Amino acid sequence: MLAIASADDVIELVHTARDTDAALYPEGGATALDYGLPARKPGYSVELAGLNQVIDYPWRDMTITVEAGITMQSLAAILAEQRQRLPIDAPFAEQATLGGLIATNYSGARRFGFGTLRDYVIGISAVDGNAKLFKGGGRVVKNVAGYDMCKLLVGSLGTLGIITQVTLKVRPLPEASALLVARPVNLAAAEKLLAALNTSLATPVAVELLYGNQFGDEWRFIVGFEGSAAEVAWQIETLQAEWPREALAEELAVIDQLEQQPGAWQELTDFSLPAGDVPLVVKFSVRPSQVCTLLDKLRTFDDQAAFQAHAGNGIVIAQFRQIPAVGACKFLLQQLQPAAHACGGYAHVWSAATADDFTRPAWWGGVRGEMVYMERVKQQFDPQRLLNPGRFIYEND
Amino acid sequence: MSIAGISELAAELRRIVGPDGVLSAAGEMLVYECDGFVVEKDTPDVVVFPRTTEHVRQIVLLCRRRQVPFVPRGAGTGLAGGSLPVGGGVLIVLTRMREIVEINLRDRYAVVQPGVVNVKLTERLRGTGFHYAPDPSSQGSCTIGGNVATNSGGPHTLKYGVTVNHVLGLEAVMADGTVCEFGGPSEDLPGLDLTGALVGSEGTLVVVTKVWVRLTRDAQSVRTMLGIFESCDDATAAISDIIAAGIIPAALEMMDHGILEALEQAFHFGFPLDAQAILIIEVDGLEAGLDAQRERITAICQAHHAREVRHANGPAERIALWKARKQAFGAVGRISPSYCTQDGVVPRTRLPHMLRKITEITARHGVRAVNVFHAGDGNLHPIVLFDEKNADEMRRALDASNEILDECLACGGSVSGEHGIGIEKIDFMPKMFTADDLDAMSRLRQAFNSEGLLSPKKMLPTAGACSAERSHPGRRAAV
Ligand SMILES: Cc1cc2nc3c(=O)[nH]c(=O)nc-3n(C[C@H](O)[C@H](O)[C@@H](O)COP(=O)(O)OP(=O)(O)OC[C@H]3O[C@@H](n4cnc5c(N)ncnc54)[C@H](O)[C@@H]3O)c2cc1C
Ligand SMILES: Cc1cc2nc3c(=O)[nH]c(=O)nc-3n(C[C@H](O)[C@H](O)[C@H](O)COP(=O)(O)OP(=O)(O)OC[C@H]3O[C@@H](n4cnc5c(N)ncnc54)[C@H](O)[C@@H]3O)c2cc1C
Repeated sequence: MLAIASADDVIELVHTARDTDAALYPEGGATALDYGLPARKPGYSVELAGLNQVIDYPWRDMTITVEAGITMQSLAAILAEQRQRLPIDAPFAEQATLGGLIATNYSGARRFGFGTLRDYVIGISAVDGNAKLFKGGGRVVKNVAGYDMCKLLVGSLGTLGIITQVTLKVRPLPEASALLVARPVNLAAAEKLLAALNTSLATPVAVELLYGNQFGDEWRFIVGFEGSAAEVAWQIETLQAEWPREALAEELAVIDQLEQQPGAWQELTDFSLPAGDVPLVVKFSVRPSQVCTLLDKLRTFDDQAAFQAHAGNGIVIAQFRQIPAVGACKFLLQQLQPAAHACGGYAHVWSAATADDFTRPAWWGGVRGEMVYMERVKQQFDPQRLLNPGRFIYEND
Repeated sequence: MSIAGISELAAELRRIVGPDGVLSAAGEMLVYECDGFVVEKDTPDVVVFPRTTEHVRQIVLLCRRRQVPFVPRGAGTGLAGGSLPVGGGVLIVLTRMREIVEINLRDRYAVVQPGVVNVKLTERLRGTGFHYAPDPSSQGSCTIGGNVATNSGGPHTLKYGVTVNHVLGLEAVMADGTVCEFGGPSEDLPGLDLTGALVGSEGTLVVVTKVWVRLTRDAQSVRTMLGIFESCDDATAAISDIIAAGIIPAALEMMDHGILEALEQAFHFGFPLDAQAILIIEVDGLEAGLDAQRERITAICQAHHAREVRHANGPAERIALWKARKQAFGAVGRISPSYCTQDGVVPRTRLPHMLRKITEITARHGVRAVNVFHAGDGNLHPIVLFDEKNADEMRRALDASNEILDECLACGGSVSGEHGIGIEKIDFMPKMFTADDLDAMSRLRQAFNSEGLLSPKKMLPTAGACSAERSHPGRRAAV
């Protein structure tokens, strides 16, 4: 374990790793280290949480430049002083770092209204496997000078570079916030509600479909609103009037977020974090219109499974509790991936209790044509394969 | 290339796309020797118009076999020389690939070919409740392929984001002739976000042959305002304060006195000619929230001594206002024979400083600039006026432009907010980026375009990209 205090430290470390052919495993808050295939090559973990300074916060420009090891909680606190925020839901924010979130391209319920990290990172610095510190983007909200290295690094799982510094575009904190909770009679009814939302005048920031034992094994349809008090109130009224009663098993409940702590938003953020020993967590990306079809199918594989769908975006996170006797890898290849493909998308593993028997295509949702070019990019940025080797999609790792 | 070589190449290209899809006679090349950046010109050896991805694939394979450079081009409205065929070669013009392939409202995406003109998609979606958000001022002629390649912005990208925020996937012909899909209608596919990295790559990494774009719900309501100011200082200070107040208008555009004069001469819109600056401010969203936002904005403008804040009454007035904004560039022709447009960006709090600097710099060089720009993003477009026939004046105009961009960098900004680097701003790249930054970018290019045949000598000042050393010399206007 090597603690980092500056970008220069990172450069030096990569030099040493190159000389000794040791792998480097970047580590932020260590909340998601089981994301990706298990590491096999010996090496060091690179502790980035010390790299946590605010470099510049010109709040009137609504941008901030920080070091990558800053925790999401500290970042949120600093932004809140100016009534601003980064609208990305982070679980365990007191521990998880901005760099870790960017590396895993993590997002939660609010992605429907606000997008994902790729929409907020406007400048980035990283040290690649050649021990070169490079940056992309800048500190202004609009910028097309050069290739968009920010997009390249968001979601690269630390395999192209160790992220040291980030400039973000930020947003104002909303004045009001509320959640509307419905219980659809079944999945077909849930799809009706989803389709109706798609043409409603209401503009929710979150559209979630959940199933799990905290809800007594019932579906919950949760729609989140943020904005001025008048906007939030109008939308709740509108949806209450618009939604077909026959699709609902009971009256709608409204949670006024400002009055309830710790908050229903936080519960949404934490919903999919594996509690205890869930043997397999899988993330599906499908077309939004196929979410209910997919959930219906997934229920037939495991009636104990819990689900969180960012339904407006076609993202489903499934926690499987019962793995067929063939094992998790075969389960993925033979059942889950065909189900995802049938819905126009892909499935990949979030975490697995026994990760050792997984093949790379099983873990990462199969092989797509564009992966050839991902290999070529990797080869350019980390030819010695020192950064998180073996963990990501690269066939040649 | 020899004349015989060119006619052989043209014949082979005709075999691929048919006899009406190739131009090679010298007289036919004039249109293609530059784009909206007219300072530098270079003729392609052959121009080819593919109609399918398969055509593009075969064209690229042919160019590779013959080791001829090739450059993609859309409508040629680019302002940085991105589609200039430096050193000749084959210009692949994608305007005949103009089909809207699919519209899927439930899943909120559309699939278009690269030659679809931006406004055509808008027109097709009218009445559906959805639209494609990026709306460059050139949307009546530029193509979505060109928008993707330059990561275009527009007035409404302040709130809704630029092109890359609305591209879900691409089909492309790679520099080696393979056809590959990146991303697609489902979000968050595992692996690197190559789609994101390819948007804005200015035709130097791939030839885009299909685009999956995100569709956005139409806003329920909109309020458009016109803030009239006695000084540029007041107007720019108001812009900065609106942003700092946490208001995100759908659009926030500024026009100064010079551009108003040009617009009035050309179109008689009825702008107040004694004002020094006007702001077009639009907020959109839920009806329930708009009046409150309008009041706040009006109050901020008034605090900065706005003479008047007019409210557009109804859609007709709004359309007229936007028409004026989108024709502003065109109107400049009325007040000056030639002009060059810059595309710098500064943090929004630095706008008052930058506008003063623009006046000071142009005065020092004995030229004049007029301003119409995406103020809410801090994205300046000073238009420096000159007469092409006056070589000295032209040189001074370009010197002033360059100094303006240097000042943007000194303010912590960028030399391009939306037009791209192309050939125009290559010399600025080393000012904005370190050698290692640029090296990382060339390595990205290496991963996609290792032979360098695809749009050579653009964007990065790597070996050979400097305008001084070109094998087939282009024509640089007398500077
Ligand atoms: C599959 C999955 C499971 C999750 N499970 C949990 C969970 O059980 N508990 C929980 O609290 N949250 C969990 N999360 C959410 C997690 O909090 C976020 O993904 C993110 O906040 C991780 O931040 P971190 O600082 O803890 O990253 P880490 O866990 O330290 O690192 C995550 C990954 O990012 C890389 N990385 C970290 N920092 C950098 C950097 N600066 N540069 C380059 N690469 C870097 C690491 O090498 C590693 O591969 C999970 C997320 C995912 C995707
Ligand atoms: C009056 C006027 C107003 C403008 N306003 C704006 C504005 O508000 N916002 C803005 O962003 N821009 C603006 N522009 C600039 C220009 O319109 C944009 O850059 C536009 O995206 C270019 O599209 P095009 O089809 O004309 O592309 P071209 O000019 O033909 O090409 C531009 C670049 O894209 C590449 N390219 C084109 N098609 C493809 C493809 N299929 N695959 C790969 N590469 C390709 C070319 O090689 C070149 O590098 C304006 C221009 C004018 C003349």
